[in-house]
Amino acid sequence: MLESFILGLSTGSACLLTCGMVMFPYLMSGSSGVKRITIDLSVFLLTRMLVYALLSVAAWYLGRAFFTNQVVRSVVPGILYIVFAGMLIWYAIDRNRQKNCPAKFVTTVNNRKLIPIFLGVVNSLGFCPALYLVLTKGASEESLAGSLTAFLAFFIGSSLWFLPLPLAGKIKKKKILETIGILATGLAGIIFIIKGLTSLIGGIING
Amino acid sequence: MDDTLSGTSLKKSFGKSLLYSLPMILITFMFISGGRPDFSNPSSALAMMITFILVNVLYFLMHYTGKTDKFRAILFIIFALSLSFTLISNMLEMRNSMSFSQADILECKIPFCHLVIPMMILPAAFTKSIIFPGSILGSFAGIASMVVLWLVATLVLGRGFCSWGCFYGGWDDGFSRIRKKPVIKKISDSWKWMPFAVLFMVALTSALSLGPTYCDWICPFKAVTEFEEVTSVASAAKAGVFISLFAGLVVILPFLTRKRTQCSFLCPLGAINTLSNKITPFTVKIDKANCSECFKCVAACPLFALTQEGIRNGKVSVFCSKCGKCIDACSRNAIHYGIKGVPAGTMKKFSRNLFLFISFLFMAVFSSGSIVNTFRGLLDLIF
Repeated sequence: MLESFILGLSTGSACLLTCGMVMFPYLMSGSSGVKRITIDLSVFLLTRMLVYALLSVAAWYLGRAFFTNQVVRSVVPGILYIVFAGMLIWYAIDRNRQKNCPAKFVTTVNNRKLIPIFLGVVNSLGFCPALYLVLTKGASEESLAGSLTAFLAFFIGSSLWFLPLPLAGKIKKKKILETIGILATGLAGIIFIIKGLTSLIGGIING
Repeated sequence: MDDTLSGTSLKKSFGKSLLYSLPMILITFMFISGGRPDFSNPSSALAMMITFILVNVLYFLMHYTGKTDKFRAILFIIFALSLSFTLISNMLEMRNSMSFSQADILECKIPFCHLVIPMMILPAAFTKSIIFPGSILGSFAGIASMVVLWLVATLVLGRGFCSWGCFYGGWDDGFSRIRKKPVIKKISDSWKWMPFAVLFMVALTSALSLGPTYCDWICPFKAVTEFEEVTSVASAAKAGVFISLFAGLVVILPFLTRKRTQCSFLCPLGAINTLSNKITPFTVKIDKANCSECFKCVAACPLFALTQEGIRNGKVSVFCSKCGKCIDACSRNAIHYGIKGVPAGTMKKFSRNLFLFISFLFMAVFSSGSIVNTFRGLLDLIF
């Protein structure tokens, strides 16, 4: 649970800093004060939570189908962790990383009430290395409850960053915060590489 | 007064240097001997005498030569080595091993170090409990004494703690001095924000897990102090992380870059000390009237605190640990110790004397115990 939370927390900062500036105006546009903002943000977060819940169920069933015994359950996720964590670190250090938000297409949606829902779906389905990592974690859990907990922790960790979204315009040192967020993402990648290696070696020893 | 001092030397005469060293001689004598020198144990008395002379000769030379970092570094490096020596010998005496067991954790026998402080704050605030398995009032590395020492030092010295009080800093400081010129010259400025990312991660994960995650998983100095017994793949992975980080950030990168890379890129306490630099009365100032913009200070700075743009604007960043390396590198005394609120270029000597007395006294008092122990241990080994 802690690992998923860390992952959500570390990648959430980078996610917010690339997407926040696109999402913010759409979540806040035409708003009539705190109440409206709170409702839009709640719908957005609720949509994310529902999508993650569905993903956790799908990941767990796939894991049961493919990770047939204890050794495979250690070795395959171990390899996947290392690969995805490597991708996450690459994302953190790549100077040419995608700086545009995948949710930019919402600019074409006319129905304002649907925007938070669209944003929630796009944001949670924006397949990035962090999501691949939590999918691997969900798939390698022993029980469905374990998979749900992993996704819930990931959701909470990443959602914390969205709570101060209404104040985003007032943050002065955005560049520094973005740098710290990106570095934290890289650290999360390192944590999962170690986890992957531990799982892989454990699986090989047990096998 | 020295208000008009510009580009002049900070050297003092022999007599004046001795006069400036007298308070240090008296105070360190009291601390090292405990007020009553005991000559019943010859190796102990000799160790105390060597430590006393070493500390005071270095302080005297700071005044006599006008150089700071050169002599600070000697004591700082000896401090780091002696602390590891003392800690390891204590571990061996107490447990016959450098590793600790689960029983040691349950009995709260783990020595406390200041790097745990960033992880303690949130759990202490929310659960009113200390997450570290150490002794609160213990005589050897007790939690209360270490927290109070760090708090006082960081409020007075700011990030100066990292160059005058930290008992680990001497490791990468030492390795960063081996080569005369760096092999790796260009390092992205962004990396200096890494300690904040580490601080952010360890503070939150420690609050959630109610355990010191930095000590459990990251701390490179576990390689030279004490570590968890290797009994599983996870504990072997931890040992691998400790050794790799120590080799990479404390030995190899400082050697190649001439920078203190562990302190610059990893230490979460360094991040907190950086923030406390904003409230400390002491600072390093740039006297633009005397600065020739040669940028020797920028190259000398081991913590990425100086940039060419900053020098042009007469600004030293909050990352400065007041080690004095830039001051020693400047032949025109254009960069100097200062006091906040006092204009740059004024009261250079007064600011230096005051800062040196406080910071060196802290280091001397803090380090003397472990240095005496180390010399005593070495003397016992030799004779």
